[in-house]
Amino acid sequence: MNRRNFLFDSYLGLGGLALLDMLANDAQAATKSADPLLVKPQHHFAKAKRCIFVFMEGGVSQMDTFEHKPLLTKLAGQQMPKADRTVGEIATFSAAPNRIIPPVAAFKQHGQCGKWVSGLLPELATCVDDMAFLHGVKVDNNNHGPAVYHTLTGNQFPGSASIGAWVTYGLGSENRDLPGFIVMGDRRGATIGGAGVWGNGFLPAAYQGTLFRNGSTPIVDLHPRPGTTGEAQRKELDLLNWLNAKHRDQRTNTSELDARIASFELAFRMQAKAPELVDLSGESEATKKMYGLDDAVSEPFGRQCLLARRMVERGVRFVKVLHGAGGDRWDDHGNIGERIPVHCKEVDKPVAGLLKDLKSRGMLDDTLVVWASEMGRTPFDNNLTTDKPGRDHNQYGLVVWMAGGGIKKGVTFGDTDELSVRAAGEEVPVRDVHATLLHLLGLNQNRLTFLHAGRYKKLTDIGGRVISEVLA
Amino acid sequence: MKQNPPEVKNTAWVRSPIDAFVLAKLEAAGVAPAPAADKRVLARRLYFDLIGLPPTIDEMNAFLNDTSPKAYETLIDKLLADKRYGERWGRHWLDLARYGETSGLEGDGAIGNVWRYRDWVIDAFNNNMPYDRFVLLQIAGGDEHSKTRNNYAPDVQGLIPTGFLRVAPWDRSNLVAAEVRNNYLSEVTTSVSSVFLGLTVGCARCHDHKYDPIPQKDFYRLQAFFNATQAAGSVPVPFKDPAQAEHAEAQVKKYQEQLKSGPEKKELDAMEQVLLKKLVAARKERAASGKEYTKADLRLEMKRKPLRIFSEAEREQHAQLLEDADRTGDAEEQDKLNAFEKGLLEKLNIAYTKGGVDPGLRFEALGKEDVRREAMAPYSGKSIFSEAEKNRYAELSGKLEILQRRVGRWSNQVLAVTNVAGPPSGPYIAPIRVLKRGDYNQPMEAVEPGFPTMLTGKENAATLETDRYRQFPTRGHRITLARWIASKENPLTARVMANRIWQFHFGTGIVATPSDFGRNGEKPTHPELLDWLAAEFMETGWNIKSLHKTILLSNTYQQASDNPDAKAASDPDNKLISRYNRRRLEAEAIRDSILYASGRLNLAMGGPSVFPPLPADLADFARYGRTGGQMWEPNDKPEDEHRRSVYIFQRRSLPLPMMAAFDAIVFSESCDRRSRTTTPLQALQLMNGELLHEEAAHLAKRAAQEAGEASRKAQIERAFTLALSRPPSADELQQFDASGQPMEAIARILLSSNEFAYVE
Repeated sequence: MNRRNFLFDSYLGLGGLALLDMLANDAQAATKSADPLLVKPQHHFAKAKRCIFVFMEGGVSQMDTFEHKPLLTKLAGQQMPKADRTVGEIATFSAAPNRIIPPVAAFKQHGQCGKWVSGLLPELATCVDDMAFLHGVKVDNNNHGPAVYHTLTGNQFPGSASIGAWVTYGLGSENRDLPGFIVMGDRRGATIGGAGVWGNGFLPAAYQGTLFRNGSTPIVDLHPRPGTTGEAQRKELDLLNWLNAKHRDQRTNTSELDARIASFELAFRMQAKAPELVDLSGESEATKKMYGLDDAVSEPFGRQCLLARRMVERGVRFVKVLHGAGGDRWDDHGNIGERIPVHCKEVDKPVAGLLKDLKSRGMLDDTLVVWASEMGRTPFDNNLTTDKPGRDHNQYGLVVWMAGGGIKKGVTFGDTDELSVRAAGEEVPVRDVHATLLHLLGLNQNRLTFLHAGRYKKLTDIGGRVISEVLA
Repeated sequence: MKQNPPEVKNTAWVRSPIDAFVLAKLEAAGVAPAPAADKRVLARRLYFDLIGLPPTIDEMNAFLNDTSPKAYETLIDKLLADKRYGERWGRHWLDLARYGETSGLEGDGAIGNVWRYRDWVIDAFNNNMPYDRFVLLQIAGGDEHSKTRNNYAPDVQGLIPTGFLRVAPWDRSNLVAAEVRNNYLSEVTTSVSSVFLGLTVGCARCHDHKYDPIPQKDFYRLQAFFNATQAAGSVPVPFKDPAQAEHAEAQVKKYQEQLKSGPEKKELDAMEQVLLKKLVAARKERAASGKEYTKADLRLEMKRKPLRIFSEAEREQHAQLLEDADRTGDAEEQDKLNAFEKGLLEKLNIAYTKGGVDPGLRFEALGKEDVRREAMAPYSGKSIFSEAEKNRYAELSGKLEILQRRVGRWSNQVLAVTNVAGPPSGPYIAPIRVLKRGDYNQPMEAVEPGFPTMLTGKENAATLETDRYRQFPTRGHRITLARWIASKENPLTARVMANRIWQFHFGTGIVATPSDFGRNGEKPTHPELLDWLAAEFMETGWNIKSLHKTILLSNTYQQASDNPDAKAASDPDNKLISRYNRRRLEAEAIRDSILYASGRLNLAMGGPSVFPPLPADLADFARYGRTGGQMWEPNDKPEDEHRRSVYIFQRRSLPLPMMAAFDAIVFSESCDRRSRTTTPLQALQLMNGELLHEEAAHLAKRAAQEAGEASRKAQIERAFTLALSRPPSADELQQFDASGQPMEAIARILLSSNEFAYVE
């Protein structure tokens, strides 16, 4: 036997196939069926059945929101003490750590748990007893593009599946008249990475996020063309169905053809269901107020949050709500004193309203709400040549919080040092957050896999730790 | 060593050795092959397979009427010679090459001129470039040198194909240089291995491969071939075709003139003058008297010419300190600046409040840049400029930016890789090191370039193909790797490509995981057949078109998509190949065919990418903030909108919604096979999308023109043949006619039908 044949036989041959069978997972097998969005059971029992993920783009300053660092007030305006691995790694845009900026607003303790929260978030401060906080979360890159990808897809580079795609792949969709995974973009523009951060990556396209826009046309091409009546469209669809049925009846192995016929009926129903979803006229004034719709500053994001509730109410599995785009994001390199209060005001009431509304409807028990950004910020100034200081990126200082089904209420896990530069104690890699999120939705990170390019890909890549400290 | 075809019972079915390999398995399983496909079905299959478009009714009839035994073979030859073949099969390759035109990351800006790589791929398929050459140029174009002559000038055209090593997402936003470099090298190593060798070495970046015998060290030995590779910016590569060169020059000239003195430029210049006056007036008015003046005021005053408060020396010193503080970011420099500015500010405040200097005049130092900043800031009730002014300003700036982009696209700059200089003119290059867990911060032992031990059985360093006198030590590394890959001795290269070609013809490869021939991949259904195909491929000089023909002439390929033998049903995945796989067409074939049926497909080839319109309700979303430029552009020529899909601009963050819905996103990793999903969003695109509606209207119009206004039935018949390459059956004609549906609706139905979207 020459070498080539030997290689071919042994290399492509029988060895290793048993392992393959052992690893073959339920979800990937299920995608081979004609209906990729079929509801699939959880891997283990978990209270949360669906997830709302609110994402603040730009890097939220932790020391101006949820992380209380009194030393910053004390050292305000002084030169930043030399701290390990700040130069070059954290301070990427300024050449050196500079003067310390105190928190923009004072912190106060709130709730039974006594969590310190910035005065910039008075509404969210009233919800702390329903939240679990993770501090010192670390992403693997200190700039927006890769960090956003890392936070939302588990990989710094484009090409991987987003969290929502993974969850929809794992659990299927309960509502067949709406997409299983919906993304609500900021009205001001596309997020960094665009479709890639809610994409299906290597998973089948059925799991990609569907972008909903603010307004009455949430999905591209949802509405019939102007002048087309529902009745006319129905008749047209009937004739299409007749032609497709005739075509199918002359053939065998027709499951794909059947699925495609059904997809037109689904689309037809979606045309009716999606506008109903985005029509807020049935919501009470009190509810609208709860989300801040009565205030021009909080109205846009309040609308997004209210829609998120309506979506999960209708069985949408995963809703991603995006805040911040282009120049209008949480990337406060300069003038943080004037910028961050506005951003906080834009989201404070809406997100708090969402938590309160879900709670009053009994939905917070089986819904998981997650707040994240792609990175934290530095305690020191980044803007050296003007009067208005701002903070640089800090990939080690992200704060994430979760609320709802299965979390331990009012706890905080992880911390950073006194200046909020690096984790103090256990570092929380973002993959641990992902592992915990999946766990809370009844999914096991090691069973939720997809064979791609020779590897069983998973959201957490090399595997994350489920942070049991924040589980009920 | 070529496998001999096995013995079979039903020798009459064996038209090619391929059939013997397939039939042997079928006979062992007791399954009969499917009957031969109907001639009409076969023609449609072949057209889509080779050129990605259906036959016209005339082409269909010509084939049906050709009763010679050579009719089918003649058709194969005709289609292989058709230029649209390169566009169809080039697109398959672009999937593998993870072709995209933007970084995919921060801002998702264009990465450079890569359309010439796309055109090179299309041309290579059309010209039937031998596959070994095709491989060699993509890994090492421009890295070849003469073995007999020194000072040999490498072939500059060879740089275009090295775009393969550059079109992945490009992490230019990360500022940690070592990490960016490491990510780049790892991506290239991973892609080269999976695309050309079907080896998934990517896992070995961090640890020994868990399933295949690929130690971590091998990943870095492979990576070391790229150690001298410079992923520099663009390099000039002249247009080879004189006509294209001339056209490019004319285009550049045209756009440059428009930039200099076109109507947009003129309007913007005029507008800037008006806005500047408005800005100065508004600032003067708003400047509150009696307040403390700040650094911003100081900087404005410093810009005034001539200076009225400060001396020229003070201005120079201030500028120097400002620059030092900005450049170094040092606190000491900042302190110096602050101290100096403090004195200046005192002087300024005295001059403004007591010195009789009119503070309002400082605003006369405002310039175009200030106008721009003010104009591009989001509009609010407090804005100095009106919303209309801001919008117009942004629009005009955007138009000029697009003209600038077009100049760039027609320049001769091409995104490619070159080699760093190395000694004697440059420094020695540091060796590649194994990285603990793939972390650039944890380098371990140094390695030499070497081939995977699994395939060679050797751990020694590769003998690099250097120049005769070793005067250019950084040349010849990639060519060494490329020659080893593109060699008949390599056990994988020919098999991997033969399998890919098979996969695109049949929908599934003999190895169903075409970029993973390892243990995690699927076991080959017909290993001896793959061996035979690979040997045949190499024997014919890596001739791709010849391999197509060999496959297409087999009875295996010509089977129908339904097999009446009940036993065939026990093989739902069709691993035995007892029928042809019916499957949905790719996004490109669907879109192109819709335009083809309406008569509006623009078959112009090559050149910078085009921008079919975004759905109206997405267009405003496609802006990246107000200032970040446009994500989508108007076309240079309106007819560009209807070009074939392979020419659509490949923006990673914004795939065209219709393409994305049908599984054609812009790939960021090598894609070895498209998903084929069925979703209601696809149906929405067809029911309500602009493309289908417009083209259906044109199809209806075309049917009326060609069949005559008088007869509705004739129009229906014509619409069927234009969309489905066949006339309607009697009951179809009756049903459609009696439905009372207008012709446009009938056209929509035909273009949305399963028959239209599926090939069988």
